[in-house]
Amino acid sequence: MTLELQLWMLFGSIIYLGIIFWMLKCKKLSVQFSIIWLISGFCMVLFAAVPYIVYVLRDIFDIQMPSNLIFAMNIGFILLILLSLSAAVTKFANQIKRLTQTIAILEKRVRELEENQLTKK
Amino acid sequence: MKILVMIPCYNEQENILDTVKNLKKHCPDVDYLVINDCSTDNSENILKENNIPYISFPCNLGIGGGVQAGYLYAKENGYDITVQMDGDGQHDPAFLQTVIEPILNGKADMSIGSRFIEKKGFQTSFARRIGIRFLSCLIFLLTGKRVYDVTSGYRACNRLLTEFYADSYAQDYPEPEAIIAAVLNGFTVSEVAVEMKERQGGVSSIRALSSIYYMVKVSISLLVYRLILADRGGMR
Repeated sequence: MTLELQLWMLFGSIIYLGIIFWMLKCKKLSVQFSIIWLISGFCMVLFAAVPYIVYVLRDIFDIQMPSNLIFAMNIGFILLILLSLSAAVTKFANQIKRLTQTIAILEKRVRELEENQLTKK
Repeated sequence: MKILVMIPCYNEQENILDTVKNLKKHCPDVDYLVINDCSTDNSENILKENNIPYISFPCNLGIGGGVQAGYLYAKENGYDITVQMDGDGQHDPAFLQTVIEPILNGKADMSIGSRFIEKKGFQTSFARRIGIRFLSCLIFLLTGKRVYDVTSGYRACNRLLTEFYADSYAQDYPEPEAIIAAVLNGFTVSEVAVEMKERQGGVSSIRALSSIYYMVKVSISLLVYRLILADRGGMR
């Protein structure tokens, strides 16, 4: 790997990490969901800074090109993140459903209470 | 014995009033609750003007979430039996007594009104019968319990099962899943013969194109349910 490419990769992954931290600071991202993003960011910075790790991993897994290892890992991260998002959506859907049901039942009670008051007057 | 009949209603302005009137005529001593699932037509006004007890959602939940709200309401208000009945006039209130009979004498926790036992009344289209047959076989394979009319929305539950459904009820197309959930959790399910009518007006919630999705989704969720509960004893 040329030094130029390595610097660009380092630059890119540091910006990526920076964006995550900035979003965390502005509370645009909750810590709960940021953990997996942060891990992926740190991995990318680590790999860019110390490419030797990638070469060792390549030899262990017997992969032809080191870049393929990076791609495969990033795809893995993306799948994990997508799955965690689906899980989050499911959780929210359940919460919203329960809220809606409770509101509807409460609304009936309020409506009937108001009607009773009107008839009393 | 407090009995609640819940009637899920989504855009049923042509049918809902007749359904409720019919129910009042046949069963004057049961409570009923219309569950208006954020209808976009005039349904809610009709309910309001005619002083029909109803709950109304601020956003559309689908039949599963709607029915679950009914069970939640029944649980909170201490009903002994909760009956589900469609708002489109397919289910004849004259059979209500038949449907709740197994619950009244304690023979079952859930009783399903089935149109396929005596094969009288409206039998639905050929394609749908095949789909129902398939799901029925799948439930039989997974649980060993034979239920013929697995998609029937005419069903009654006792207090125990009502509380169970209030906590967890399937979404999307919930009827077959509700059966497998009940059976696998140790509740007894029985079927009684009823006659159903063709829907009086409006459109069914299951259209041709979504029927493939329906079959795939229900089959997968039945399998998943079986897997989840494979190593657990069940609730009851």
